[in-house]
Amino acid sequence: MSKEMSAPLSRTARLLDLVPYINTHQGIALKDLAKHFDVTPAQMIADLTTLWMCGLPGYTPLELMDLEFDSGYVTIRNAETLAKPRAITFQECVALVLGLDLVMGQFPAERQDLMTSARSLRERIARQLGVPVQLQATSSVSNEVVLAINKALNQNSGLLIQYHALYKDDVSSRTIKPIYLYELNGQRYLRAYCFSAMDFREFRADRIMQAVHKEVPHGISSHQASEEKIGFGISIKAATRDIAERFGIVDLTENKDFSLTSYSRQWIERSVLASGSGVVITSPSYIRDSVIKSAQQLLDRYEHS
Amino acid sequence: MFERDKDDLRTLGIAIEVGSFDPLFSDESGYRIRSENYQLDLGKITSSELALLSLAAEAWQGAALEHAAQSAVIKLNSLGIPADTLEIPGVPLKLSNSATDLNTITDVIATSDFLSFNYIATDLTVRSRTIIPFALSNNNGFWYLTGVDQEILEIRTFRLDRIHGELVKKHNKEVFEIPTDFDIFGSMDTTQHAIATIDVRKGKGFSLRALATSIIDLGEWDQLSIPIVNRETLTSQILWHGLDVYVQEPSDLRDYLVSQLQALILNHE
Repeated sequence: MSKEMSAPLSRTARLLDLVPYINTHQGIALKDLAKHFDVTPAQMIADLTTLWMCGLPGYTPLELMDLEFDSGYVTIRNAETLAKPRAITFQECVALVLGLDLVMGQFPAERQDLMTSARSLRERIARQLGVPVQLQATSSVSNEVVLAINKALNQNSGLLIQYHALYKDDVSSRTIKPIYLYELNGQRYLRAYCFSAMDFREFRADRIMQAVHKEVPHGISSHQASEEKIGFGISIKAATRDIAERFGIVDLTENKDFSLTSYSRQWIERSVLASGSGVVITSPSYIRDSVIKSAQQLLDRYEHS
Repeated sequence: MFERDKDDLRTLGIAIEVGSFDPLFSDESGYRIRSENYQLDLGKITSSELALLSLAAEAWQGAALEHAAQSAVIKLNSLGIPADTLEIPGVPLKLSNSATDLNTITDVIATSDFLSFNYIATDLTVRSRTIIPFALSNNNGFWYLTGVDQEILEIRTFRLDRIHGELVKKHNKEVFEIPTDFDIFGSMDTTQHAIATIDVRKGKGFSLRALATSIIDLGEWDQLSIPIVNRETLTSQILWHGLDVYVQEPSDLRDYLVSQLQALILNHE
């Protein structure tokens, strides 16, 4: 239902939907009906009383709908004209199509039957839109995985993941310690220490098929995977949307200083490097020195080849 | 019949036809609701399809179109078909909520009206844009709206979290035909872009690997071909990966990268 719909109008909508619903759910308890339509039992009684007075022209008791709800259970008769549910609205179509898209992405591979019926359903609903609007929802990252990663990040703990390596095209089990999640071009990536590779690795969140808690040794070269939040300061040289989104600064302005925190020294260094001429790191000095050193090393590499 | 009542009916999603239907008073204009327009018609719906639609509606829990999804399910339940319970493993995914008003957006798409909003450009300046939207998508939690930009008359896509402030709807009197050459499902056309040759250390640089059109195994390193869609964005991604990435060509990308590094060092002196 549209947010802008006025109260009387949304009530009319409810009344129109009540008739077909009761018609197929004869004898439903009044309180269940109220719950189903998300109104109080008192409102439901008011609605039913209004419906009780409705019918086709002629308006004799013969043409009126016959509603019975005194017993606390609701039945309806003589409601043929309004017994068919209303067509779904444009907005409802949009909601169902996008929702179906997401559901389709969740089917296990062996349930091709579900996939086939979901596709046909999506097509039929999309046709109700009346115009060739394009709609699409995809989510390749599972909620479960994101929840597990966030939990591990908050508790500074490890994970056992099943990872699908795209270019090798195989699934491997890895024990990792997540360091930070970051976003680039609408994709989420996880930087982590991988105990299987004995090195830091980046994982695309949508290729992590499963993630469960696992105990890992503490203090893997602790200067790289910091245990505590690091405060750092940056000064903005060029105000760009990239920089604002990377550092999560809402009121980004040129030549202004910002104090921020992060759990990861790596993340700070990379974010400053990636911002190129746009950002200066002012503190702490050891990270500042490290950024300058990396930039100089990179520069040397390009200038000597 | 008052205009207001007709508007109300349209708001309820009921299609009406306006005209004179009274044989005795032909100059009297009225309206009628055709039962085929009023009634739900999705063909034959099976129990398992009903269960699928309930799951689809659940994806909106706590998100913008939750009410629309719920009211659709009520209508579907009124068909009197017993619903199957579907056992689908895994936590159901949810559509992320958007700060931007999806209700207004779907309304504007339905009527092909104009939608105006302030959009944050890459240089953080805020510009007013007016589009006729015709496509809505959600990708990994980000909402995207596509429409014909009325200033340049070209198709543009906007990320909803970059819209700043209110959405304004304006009535469009012209007939709008949805462009048919746009494909939301298709990947971006990368054929028209110059290609960069970039070396990436094995096991590193996943975000760059995701952009590659081809990959050659060089042993300790892999050589990636990446279309340069936006030089600044790509440079930033390359810099993010530090010493794990090296740009072979083209020279203008290398030059730009070097200029960024020089400026960074100079800024820190």
